[in-house]
Amino acid sequence: MIRLTQIRKSFGRNEVLKGIDLTVRKGEVVAILGPSGSGKTTLLRCINYLERPSDGEIEIGELRVKCKHPSKQEIHRLRGKSAMVFQQYNLFKHKTAAENVMEGLVVVQKVPKEEARKRSVELLEKVGLGAKLDAYPSQLSGGQQQRVGIARALALNPEVILFDEPTSALDPELVGEVLAVIRKIAKEGITMIIVTHEMNFAQEVANRVVFMDQGAVVEEGAPNELFRSPKEERTRQFLQRMTPEAVYSI
Amino acid sequence: MKLDPAFIWTAFIELLSAIPTTLEIAGVSVLCGILIGTAVALVRIYRVPVLHPIASAYVTFIRGTPMLTHLLLILFGLPMLIDAVAESLGIPFRSVSIPMIGFVYISFSITEGAYMSEVVRSGMLAVNRGQIEAAYAVGMTTPQALRRIVFPQAFAAALPNLSNSAIGMLHATTLAFAASVVDINAKAQIVAATNWKFFEAYLAAALLFWGLTFLIERLTALLEKRINSYNRGGVA
Repeated sequence: MIRLTQIRKSFGRNEVLKGIDLTVRKGEVVAILGPSGSGKTTLLRCINYLERPSDGEIEIGELRVKCKHPSKQEIHRLRGKSAMVFQQYNLFKHKTAAENVMEGLVVVQKVPKEEARKRSVELLEKVGLGAKLDAYPSQLSGGQQQRVGIARALALNPEVILFDEPTSALDPELVGEVLAVIRKIAKEGITMIIVTHEMNFAQEVANRVVFMDQGAVVEEGAPNELFRSPKEERTRQFLQRMTPEAVYSI
Repeated sequence: MKLDPAFIWTAFIELLSAIPTTLEIAGVSVLCGILIGTAVALVRIYRVPVLHPIASAYVTFIRGTPMLTHLLLILFGLPMLIDAVAESLGIPFRSVSIPMIGFVYISFSITEGAYMSEVVRSGMLAVNRGQIEAAYAVGMTTPQALRRIVFPQAFAAALPNLSNSAIGMLHATTLAFAASVVDINAKAQIVAATNWKFFEAYLAAALLFWGLTFLIERLTALLEKRINSYNRGGVA
């Protein structure tokens, strides 16, 4: 289980997270929606300390970290419990697809190389890249790179995978293949938090949807409820703008 | 005075004996320079308290003064310092027992370190921020992330500058004559002085330096091709 309590984050005088509370149960898939600048990506990055929260508490499984003065070791352990899939993929450029997936296993989890390689091959096959094991990221399309990114995250066997707008940088025709992979692993009961702009996908794959605006959670609930009958006016406005039918219906 | 083409060859052969000295000085300085430069670059990039302003001052001072001046300062200043320290500690060691080339190594390494720090820094800044974030996200510590992810890519990015610096250092070894170390150029002077054929001797030295530089260039090209294969879509 992941529990965020009163997470705050300021950049200078600008408070981008105003005390966020969020609980994600084991095996749950939570989608975070919201307009740009709402703080959803910052919140996600706070969970593995790529962004340093100014205050609050993060709890993942057994580990509880007070955000004000975390020790280096606490940050390190926190990162060991999560994995992240980035908007810009961020594959290690100088390593092949298979090496990218192996890297965390070998360097961080000290898994023997042959075993790590085996696991890496399995995972790349699972995301449909069994034929690209020895390709460098520069030789792969965006969709393929992102699928390697997902395999890299899966390899770590984390308590939670954090997806930071995993399809936002992709050409439209490549979005489908990445979403298909995420859908597949969501069904396996892996805990996921997904920041996304893909409304249909969020509705389909998430157990719960959280709508954020201006650094605060405005509303959360089951996808069907939240999309069909949002309680808050702000959510309604946002959904209306994001759902093309509503805009272009004649 | 007439040109004596045959003596160019004679001098060239004589100069070969000085190659090890030149390469040793260049090699030691470049290697130590990379180590010092990497340390300085890290201190400046991570803005390490206390050390950060010292590192910046080191770089501006060294780059702001001629290399020959560094050598002379080390040559005359360091022995005084060593002797004073040894005396106050009651150690019988005296600086005269240090070979002159030792001071050359120290001085040139200090010089090269300042220039290399900028080469290393630019290489590290060329690595996308996302790379180290991804390393952290898979659970690496900062040293692991630097060693496994940042340095290999920074090295690839810095290689052209690195080779530039190494070539510069090779040529700068000629200043070692100020410490009465016989490098290729000093050897040329000695060879020439015996029979007054300066032009021929220096021309031979020039050709020899050109040859050595050419080797460094080829070596860099080879290295670049190997380590940059991931960038060009080729598999190594």
